[in-house]
Amino acid sequence: MKLKVDLKYALLLLFVAMGTFAMAQRTVTGTVTDAETNEPLIGASVAVLGTSTGTVTDLDGKFSLNVPDGAAQIQFSYTGYATTTQDIGVSNVIDVQMSAGTDLDEVVVTGYGTQKEKEITSSVVEVSEKDFNQGVISDPAQLLQGKVAGLQVYNRGGNPNNQSVIRLRGLSTVGANVQPLVVIDGVIGASLQNVDPNDIETISVLKDGSAAAIYGSRGSSGVIIVTTKKGKASQKLQWSYNGQVSTESILNSIEILDGNEFVAAGGTDLGSRTDWIDEVTENPINHTHGLSVGGGVGANSNFRASVNIREQNGIMRNTGFDQFNARLNFSSRVFNDKLKIDFSSSYTTKDQRIGYDEALRYAVLYNPTAPVLGANSPFEFNSSQFGGFFETLGLFDSFNPVSIVDQNRNVAERSEFNYSANLSYDILSNLSVTMRIAQQSTDFSNDQYAPTTANFRGNATSPTRKGLAEFYESNATFSLYEGFATYLTSFGKSDLTITAGYSYQEDNFNDRFFSIGDFPDNSLDFSNLIESSQDLQNAGFINASSNRSPNNKIIAFFGRANFTFDNAIFLNASVRREGSSKLGEGNQWGIFPAFGVGVDLNRYLNIGSVDLLKVRVGYGVTGALPQQSGLSQEIRSISNDPSGAVNTTLARAANPDLKWEEKAELNFGLEFSMGRFSTTLDLYNRDISDFILERTVDVAVFGVDRRFENAGKLNTQGLELALNYDVVRSENFNYTTGVVLSTYETVLEEYVLDAETRGNLGAPGQNGTNMLLVQVGQEIGNIWGPVYEGVEDGSPIFADINGDGQLVTGQDQALNPDADFEVLGNGVPDLELGWTNQIQIGDWSINAFFRGAFGHSLVNTFRAFYEPRLSTQTSYNFVNTENAVDGLTTARFSSLYVEKADFFKLDNLTISRQFNLNDAAIRSIQVSLMIRNAFVITNYSGIDPEPSLVDRGSAGNGNTTIASDVLSPGIERRNNYFNSRVFALGVNLNF
Amino acid sequence: MSKFLKFLFALVAIFAVQACTDLEEDLVGDVTEDINIEGIDTGGGGGSAGPLSAAYASLRGAGTANHGGYYSVQELPTDEMVICAKGGDWFDGGILIDLHRHTYDATHAFVNGTWVQTYNAINTVNELLNGDNLDANQTAQARSLRAYYYFRLLDLYGRVKIITSPGQDAPQASRAEVFAFVESELLDALGVSEISSSMDLSGSALGTDPNPYAMNQFGTLGIIAKLYLNAEVYTGTARWQEAADAASYIIDRGVYQLCGDGCKVANQGKRAGVASDPDELSGFAAVFASNNENNPEHIFSVLYDEASAGGMNFSQMNLHYSSQFTWNFDAQPWNGYATLEEFYNSFENGDARKEASFIVGQQLDFGGSAILDYASDDGELVLNYTPAINELTPNSLREAGARPGKFSFKQFGRPDMDNDYPIVRLGEVYLMRGEARARAAGDWNVSLDDVNVLRARAKVNSYSTIDADEFLAERGREMFQEGVRRMDLIRFGKYNDAWWEKPADPSDHVNVFPIPFEQLQASGGTLTQNDGY
Repeated sequence: MKLKVDLKYALLLLFVAMGTFAMAQRTVTGTVTDAETNEPLIGASVAVLGTSTGTVTDLDGKFSLNVPDGAAQIQFSYTGYATTTQDIGVSNVIDVQMSAGTDLDEVVVTGYGTQKEKEITSSVVEVSEKDFNQGVISDPAQLLQGKVAGLQVYNRGGNPNNQSVIRLRGLSTVGANVQPLVVIDGVIGASLQNVDPNDIETISVLKDGSAAAIYGSRGSSGVIIVTTKKGKASQKLQWSYNGQVSTESILNSIEILDGNEFVAAGGTDLGSRTDWIDEVTENPINHTHGLSVGGGVGANSNFRASVNIREQNGIMRNTGFDQFNARLNFSSRVFNDKLKIDFSSSYTTKDQRIGYDEALRYAVLYNPTAPVLGANSPFEFNSSQFGGFFETLGLFDSFNPVSIVDQNRNVAERSEFNYSANLSYDILSNLSVTMRIAQQSTDFSNDQYAPTTANFRGNATSPTRKGLAEFYESNATFSLYEGFATYLTSFGKSDLTITAGYSYQEDNFNDRFFSIGDFPDNSLDFSNLIESSQDLQNAGFINASSNRSPNNKIIAFFGRANFTFDNAIFLNASVRREGSSKLGEGNQWGIFPAFGVGVDLNRYLNIGSVDLLKVRVGYGVTGALPQQSGLSQEIRSISNDPSGAVNTTLARAANPDLKWEEKAELNFGLEFSMGRFSTTLDLYNRDISDFILERTVDVAVFGVDRRFENAGKLNTQGLELALNYDVVRSENFNYTTGVVLSTYETVLEEYVLDAETRGNLGAPGQNGTNMLLVQVGQEIGNIWGPVYEGVEDGSPIFADINGDGQLVTGQDQALNPDADFEVLGNGVPDLELGWTNQIQIGDWSINAFFRGAFGHSLVNTFRAFYEPRLSTQTSYNFVNTENAVDGLTTARFSSLYVEKADFFKLDNLTISRQFNLNDAAIRSIQVSLMIRNAFVITNYSGIDPEPSLVDRGSAGNGNTTIASDVLSPGIERRNNYFNSRVFALGVNLNF
Repeated sequence: MSKFLKFLFALVAIFAVQACTDLEEDLVGDVTEDINIEGIDTGGGGGSAGPLSAAYASLRGAGTANHGGYYSVQELPTDEMVICAKGGDWFDGGILIDLHRHTYDATHAFVNGTWVQTYNAINTVNELLNGDNLDANQTAQARSLRAYYYFRLLDLYGRVKIITSPGQDAPQASRAEVFAFVESELLDALGVSEISSSMDLSGSALGTDPNPYAMNQFGTLGIIAKLYLNAEVYTGTARWQEAADAASYIIDRGVYQLCGDGCKVANQGKRAGVASDPDELSGFAAVFASNNENNPEHIFSVLYDEASAGGMNFSQMNLHYSSQFTWNFDAQPWNGYATLEEFYNSFENGDARKEASFIVGQQLDFGGSAILDYASDDGELVLNYTPAINELTPNSLREAGARPGKFSFKQFGRPDMDNDYPIVRLGEVYLMRGEARARAAGDWNVSLDDVNVLRARAKVNSYSTIDADEFLAERGREMFQEGVRRMDLIRFGKYNDAWWEKPADPSDHVNVFPIPFEQLQASGGTLTQNDGY
């Protein structure tokens, strides 16, 4: 808390201090316009070459720049236009016309440096601010949703506290980290949660192995490189304010019966009529505010500082978060511009009201005739025992959802601080050395409190032990020390760039958990007075645990050479040798090479109207390791015996032979552009061998059935296509459209087991029902079960698939050769589509972004549990979708509950109007109206048709699970947060 | 300027040197093989149980009295216990119905869970035996306990690997080889080469003091009696005389007594508002009570304690959700295990064992008021356990079936219970002797003396004549809920018969469980499947 206050003031001071040092010299002015339409270009970059002096054009395309003495050229750049350079003459006015088209010399941030886009031989996509998704976005990953072919960003449901699941080209590993590596301003492994979307300028995505290999093991699941906005060295400070206010409503829940329908269907009538979903949800009002200032400090320095505040509430009452974020970027050149110093720091604090997603699940299944309050109970009911709320006692897995929302508390506080310093020194004009130091620390705490009157987790039915308080705290720190040198040379038509360096990374994590219950009553929040707990008098009730990781280290040496010939043939090669403390001696070091070649064919073919025709091939190997520590070591669990002894028993067997998991990827790319049309095609083949998994081993031999092993091999083949076309380009009307398409298939080629099933459906009554099949030779994500044919006497009839006259449909026979099971669908989409449309009419602009995924299925678990009219449990509500089967009174998992979840939606619609107020204190105002999830077209009858790539597992009767199973995609669990439709009004001021 | 460069390169050098040398992983938050905790070696030790505490603790971890492991696979395929599918509850992919109907298969989760739990326990004992801090007596206890675990594997799976040292592999032994291993280990512990009526156990390293939580000569004799009683099933060769001699030795030494009328404990389940609840439990009921720790009938038992030695969850497993209010339980029960009606009816009224073994009829709460089930599915709100069960699946009524309650529940009980669970108790020793003698003689009436000792304790009339079926029924009444029914039905040739919703088995291959599918795969081909699966 102290740090939070200090930092706010420090940043504020910096704001003020830096704003006062602007200097004035010779001033050059001018206008930048589109060569074709003569429209002014707003926000084009204007920079004095060889210095850090620069500015951007205003709303009329005009700029004014202070040019230092001796400066010779000014460079003009604008995304989507070719960069041009003009000599500075005697004139103080320079007007420039820029041509639209692919800017072949545009520089893209890649690993440990930048490269001209044209010279890149791997699959790299850069998305800049103007192409980001719009609207109320607090998770930076969502800026890219649907924008990059092959990048999957899914945030199922509308829970504001959920982080997106990010996948690049599907499943990159089984046991290791499947989320791509995030690099923020050069800092490897930085946290995406510590950067506010408002502060991001560009995001580069390194898709294939040849690009990511320079990052070694941490880049194995792809790399997302975030570049934050920097101050532009202009004469005066530029202030900018960004604000949004929004509200949201339930986009889709699930069809259930109302009270009267429920009674008509044979449900127990408890006398009231309650819409439980309505009771626990609301249409919240949310705000975000961002203020930034940036500009030059003296001739050689610039800075940008920003503060962002977000208040976000979910559609479920008492959920949401408040976030404060501050960021400072500062850069300076000293020693005759030879030493460049970049300093960056950010701080984020987030107060989360997490709540319990289970309240939504119980809102679906709770008896719609039950009253909210015990006072309205049809029979004598001890309301005070439950804080005034009604409860259906004696029923498994049934909790009054309003009581959960109003009585149970689940809050968290997260704060994250990082800084990085980058020193780059030009020893010679073609040799530079860069040193980088970065540190990051994250503190997280989670408090959960269920008062003595809470039936959910508070054990209010217990005569003895009521109330529960849980405390969790963790700290994570990360340090990075890197140094590398870059050498450039040319001979004849050839250019060669060589980079070599090393990287030292160290992370450490520790946490503590404590829970205690049995509080006196509900008169106080006893989580603030746990000495009142009677658990202190009874052995065995208090839970406590703590853990500290070892200092996990990654040490790497790397080198790369980029060679270009004739500005048309490009060769890139890199190698990284990396060691990790997680593996056994002798297996700690791995070597990860990469190689790429690209050719600009059109330079030789000279097809008249074609601007670019480039082919490239890249091949790279990366390594991967799971998150856990002690992978290769024997781990024992410790327990206290009633005899007073302390016992340890084997929990995981050692595997000193464990070695690096390796990913080898071959990527073929084709880039083509002609006038207003451009396209990129990528084809890839990826082999993941020796993937590491904690697997079942022969318990007779090892004494325990778990240890980490190099367990198998996965192959992924995929195709990605991006198309862009400027349909109309005129003075007052512009229309640009772009489509990205991607498809892939991941097959398990080798595995330690021939087959296994995963993804348990769960309680009540459907444990031991694993819905996903993992089998050698098969695609990942196959949903496996019996085929529904009809209903007889209330029970489902299953198909005799193999026609042997015998029905073998028991779940423990799922892997029998004669089982009547088949693949009922696949949880991974066949095709994913993003379709961007940008229309500009005068001062108005419309941005419509459509997104779709096709070919995937989801198990609708709400239906699997609650749609059959169970004659014996008439106190759960019934789910009642259009797929409901009349007369079915038995719940058995089958094809009946596996639904195609193809969808196409208007993900984002933004309409904005620009007001130019050149002479006023405020230079411009942009007002926009945004709608997220404007409409969704799908046949899926569940809550959200978005693919579910990670399974969180089943939880029942007040428990929560934290499983994270990447081999069980395609299950929509019952505690999924409802998705929402968001309406936002935004204003952007520049002054 | 050049100073700055030097500084830069010095930094590079420092990082590089550090990089080359230091990749050791020091696990500060885990217990690894390198950690030595004062007073214990890996595997356990210390405290009043001596270095063997981890070995005995493993009995709790081996699924002896909870759901999903050894107890479940011994009880649920028999005619004394069942878990019915109650509408949306307890279907669980059909695996419980498969146990009832004997259609279980190699991928059955309980079959694998039991295998893993048992080998985990064997490994714990092997680690202790592999160390060097056991004396001769402790070594004999450990080997005897390990032999008991192999007896479980012999009985359940037949053909298993005999592993006697951690990390060692061994070929899959035949059932006869496993039998021979168990027999020789137990005989070694007893210090004899064979069991006979004239054997002299003075050479045994095992002790004779009655302590149910440690393996002594009598516990080991009880286990070898079980082994010989079932020898014909395991090897095709009957060993009745040895079974009878081992049992006789225990009874004749008089160290243990049946718990009769004078053997009493306070009734920890008594409700303040229900006058008919007795203040004390005596006789048969006292043997299994929550405070049964000093019962004279226990020869070898598993120690359970609600706080420090968890692992017995019968109150959760057996009772209806609302029965929470009868005993003021800390947690809501699960409404799973019930007794088959026919089995319940095999007890005559007045049999003390009937009252002690079942929770049945209308249920009252702590204050004596009727417990209501607001989610009731039988048309009335009163919670009333009926001996009759309408069907196995899909819509068994929520309150159908008498509930096993022999290990009786205490007021304010926790999910983990306090009752000790006997593995060898004197009551069963009488039955083993009676059966073995009768079978050796070819006349069931030879068993009458031993059977009538138990019937007298149960306050029912003595038999004057008895046959095999009646002996089996008597064994069922005495041994209900003690995890032996499956062995008994197989030995009496009844396991493959039809009962209630179970048809007759088409083949007797189900008399051993399949080798778990996961283990077949994990063993890399060194295990093969049992016949018929």
